[in-house]
Amino acid sequence: MTTTLTPPGGLVHRVGRLRRHSPGRLQLILAALVTLGLLTGLVAGLTANAASTGTADLGDREQPLLVEAETIYTSLADADTTAAQAFLAGGLEPADLTRRYDADLARLATALTSASRRTPQESPAAQAVEAIAAGVAKYSALVATARADNRQGLPVGASYLSAASTLNRETLQVQAQALFQIAQDEVDAGYADARSSWWLTLLVALFAVLAAALIWSQIYLSRTTHRTFNVPLLAATAAFALLFVGAAGVFGAQRGHLSSADRNGSTPVSTLAELRIVALSQRADEALTLAARGGGGDSEAHFDAVTPQADFDDPALDDVRTEMNSARDGYAAYLALHDQVRELDDGGDYEGAVDLAVGAKSGTAFASVTDALDRAITDRKAAFTSQITSAGTGLDLLTVLGPLLALIGCVLAALGIRARLEEYR
Amino acid sequence: MRSSLGRAAVVLLLLTTAACTADDTTARPSGSTPAQPETSTSAAPADTSCNPRASLRPSGSLPEPGRMPAGSYMAEIYQRGRLVLGTSQDTLLFSSRNPFTGEIEGFDVDMGRQIAEAIFGDPDKLQIKVVAYDKRVDSAKDGTVDVVADTMTANCTRWNSVDFSSIYYESGQKILVSKDSTIKGVDDLSGKKVCAAKGSTSYDNLGKLTSRPERVALASFGDCLVAFQQNEVDAISTDDTILIGMAAQDPYAKVVGDRYTEEPYGMAISKDHPEFTRFVNAVLQKNRENGTWKATYKKWLGQFGPVPNPPVAQYR
Repeated sequence: MTTTLTPPGGLVHRVGRLRRHSPGRLQLILAALVTLGLLTGLVAGLTANAASTGTADLGDREQPLLVEAETIYTSLADADTTAAQAFLAGGLEPADLTRRYDADLARLATALTSASRRTPQESPAAQAVEAIAAGVAKYSALVATARADNRQGLPVGASYLSAASTLNRETLQVQAQALFQIAQDEVDAGYADARSSWWLTLLVALFAVLAAALIWSQIYLSRTTHRTFNVPLLAATAAFALLFVGAAGVFGAQRGHLSSADRNGSTPVSTLAELRIVALSQRADEALTLAARGGGGDSEAHFDAVTPQADFDDPALDDVRTEMNSARDGYAAYLALHDQVRELDDGGDYEGAVDLAVGAKSGTAFASVTDALDRAITDRKAAFTSQITSAGTGLDLLTVLGPLLALIGCVLAALGIRARLEEYR
Repeated sequence: MRSSLGRAAVVLLLLTTAACTADDTTARPSGSTPAQPETSTSAAPADTSCNPRASLRPSGSLPEPGRMPAGSYMAEIYQRGRLVLGTSQDTLLFSSRNPFTGEIEGFDVDMGRQIAEAIFGDPDKLQIKVVAYDKRVDSAKDGTVDVVADTMTANCTRWNSVDFSSIYYESGQKILVSKDSTIKGVDDLSGKKVCAAKGSTSYDNLGKLTSRPERVALASFGDCLVAFQQNEVDAISTDDTILIGMAAQDPYAKVVGDRYTEEPYGMAISKDHPEFTRFVNAVLQKNRENGTWKATYKKWLGQFGPVPNPPVAQYR
């Protein structure tokens, strides 16, 4: 044949020639339907796969990383506060403060290990985790020296503690905040991946074209063959309709659960995490202001500056209203006590200020804030996990069954049209 | 000094050349500023326009505690119920935090307690505010504290901003190095990293040395000791009294060389109420005469040698 010698022009020419007679047109319809059908099945499978991977990543990697970044930050802030309070107490470190400091560092180490497992090598998040881990080693060495000096009654211990605190606040906490921001961005990106909007748009477009093609082919066949219905083609349409309904159901449910996971899980967890960071940094400010013995100063200015950020009435926290109410009350009580501490210190009663700040009353008020926040975070983390698990339901099934159903549809369509082609032989 | 100016000129020239070749639009002054402070401060001559030891003469005899002259600043302090003393909390023997009790104590704190006793009849009516080394002049000047007693050298530059009491302690700068160091005096400091607190005369004095050590400024001398113990600096240089306090905390450190500066300590007081400076001088005068000064010296510094006579007060 001459056409094979000039393929591009020849192919167009041959297809063009097919259009001019009935069997040719039928062959064209068959080819178009099968191509569209297979493509739709393939894209349905790929979309389900992408959505499944995205949802799993969100649940197993991105969201946990955010929670760990927050743990890293708050452990650092709490260790700093605890060390400063132990210093304020004077004499030998109170045993309960030593235990709290040790627990902070243990939690920090666990969160760092777990976070490094969840971050790809060389990524900004991994670099932040590495930098913090290296700094924490130096930090704990400085605190250990301060303790040893304190044991021997050497005043230089206070300078070691101040060097440790500076490292904690000005380097480690800054890196932890950066990690928290990276993790927050990754969660946002994770939601986009889980929604797989590009894939889904392509799939919807393919379904639309396929539906149009199926309907048009059946109208064409009923006009040209004097048979109202082509049964196999009708069955193929039903198969594709089933695929459509199934996909719509699975993806619709997934998106609904993702929205819930975001609204009732990720968003409140982030808001709560930020609240806890604010509260803990204020507690550290208070202790550091007293430890510096300068009266007021930068730490106290920071305390006042972040107070308005402690908004327990944020609508995002409506699901944990009860906890937020008790957190708000505890916070108000703590602020009143803090004002008393400042009043005492500014009024010259330093010992009274220290006693109140590290005493049981302040401790209880502050613990009621952090305890309520802890409960709320645990509650919202559970809500997130349950929604994410539901969001993943059916996606893996669709990955396998989608292409299979499309294949069945294609076979049926081929059977229907081949029956008509036979009539021309 | 000539060599330092020459070096500054070379640095300036290099920076200008670099700035011009890199980008003609780069402003030359901004490119040259980083190199400036180091050379300019070290080249600054000491202000010798005054006698820093001469303070205001006490007027008449000391009033009884609780009976401060009406309208005087002492009456204001009495009204308030406490004297506010500005000091540090990491200068062992002069003003440092006792790790066992959490109290700040030392020679300087006792100076403040003696003033409180003269006003109230009670040395405990004292509020201690810790001020950073580079904020000592400012906090006395703006009234944050009533008086600063913080191993503070009275010099003419500072006299321009605040008044000083009569001299209550004579010190001088030495060097602290590690036990096995080869440094024996200021001449061996060439190229060595030497720490001093930011805003201290010790830091300025290091800049005047011909051996040109590499100066490291940290917030306080406690931070210098931390840096020294972590091998971040080779030496610390400041008043021998402060160094003795450091060496007492670190058996691997020693104080070497002779005093290479004179550091007369005075208490800084705002120029707004000279009557308070006169009052403090009267308190110091009384304590020099009745043996309180010697007793205070013995209490904090007696372990390092015999008790000297108190510095003789000079007045204008």
